[in-house]
Amino acid sequence: MIKKGIIVGIVLAIAGISFFGYYSYSLNETVNLDMGRTHGNVSTAMGSPLLGDPSAPITIIEFGDYQCHACYNWFHTHKPAIYENYIATGKANLVFVDLAFLGHDSPIAAQASYCAEDQGMYWEYHDLLYNSQESKIDNGWANSERLKAFAFNLDLDMTLFESCLDSGKYSKRVQYNIGEAKKHGARATPTFIIVGPENQQEQFQGGQPYTTFKQIMDNMI
Amino acid sequence: MIFVSMLVGLLYLSEFFFIDPFIAGHIPQGTEFGFVLIVILSVLSALVLPMNVYRINILKNSKRKIGGGVFGSFIGAFAGACSCGPVGFAIISTFGSVGATSMAFLTNYEIPIRIAAIGLLALTYFTTTKSLKVECKLNP
Repeated sequence: MIKKGIIVGIVLAIAGISFFGYYSYSLNETVNLDMGRTHGNVSTAMGSPLLGDPSAPITIIEFGDYQCHACYNWFHTHKPAIYENYIATGKANLVFVDLAFLGHDSPIAAQASYCAEDQGMYWEYHDLLYNSQESKIDNGWANSERLKAFAFNLDLDMTLFESCLDSGKYSKRVQYNIGEAKKHGARATPTFIIVGPENQQEQFQGGQPYTTFKQIMDNMI
Repeated sequence: MIFVSMLVGLLYLSEFFFIDPFIAGHIPQGTEFGFVLIVILSVLSALVLPMNVYRINILKNSKRKIGGGVFGSFIGAFAGACSCGPVGFAIISTFGSVGATSMAFLTNYEIPIRIAAIGLLALTYFTTTKSLKVECKLNP
């Protein structure tokens, strides 16, 4: 009888500890995803949070890789003008969907961006990665240690960030995004799909100049 | 014709030039040197390849020296193909990590590879010119 009591007690204690552990984990690392989010016929549910006004008539979907030089060039050369004239003015918003295929560190960098999203710093982390990109793929600039250092520079909670990155929490999310990109014919980074107010879509690849975006979006508005 | 097709092809592969949805071109900051190398590569290819074809057709001689020209143009073109473009995507999707490693190598060492290709083409140009001068000399 005493033995039975001890066993039941141990089982209850383990269950209690497990429940407490799970509960505290979910409190700290809650994933807030709108699972039904689509733009045109593209599921962006697992992509980035929206940059800009969610009710903007146009959505720019960017399929990209943090180690891609063309994405880096577009980010620095053309995105600022698009942001200033379309995103900041509420005419368009932008969502980033990972097509992380270039190297071993690409998917890890994408996962890290979602770990930053857990702490409300997705776009800050995204921008920091593109500002920190080095010319060589997989030379260590985006390895796990450097990704943690970037998070530290943004004053993120390092315990949360490290547990998120080391556990591979967002591995499947990144894989889903890669699958979604391929499903919609993205065969290069960056690839863009611009979705208009009546769900009309224009897709093209390459870090194309601002004038291309302007021409397409002005026709849609 | 070789010059134009090489230039347009390489500029397209290196994302300096786009044809879809509109014809557009740009030279992002920091990529100017790569652009100049592409122009030089196209000029040299346009000189070396026809010279070697002429040499083979007219003299029915050794096909050995055209190898350098073709090889130079080929590696120059491949170095220009950004691994983030459709060529890189196809290679990485087909060959997995081996493809990714080789494309990363071509991207990481794009500039030195292009310079090496230019060197090879220049060497082929001078040896072909020299050989044409000797072999085309009319015997009195």
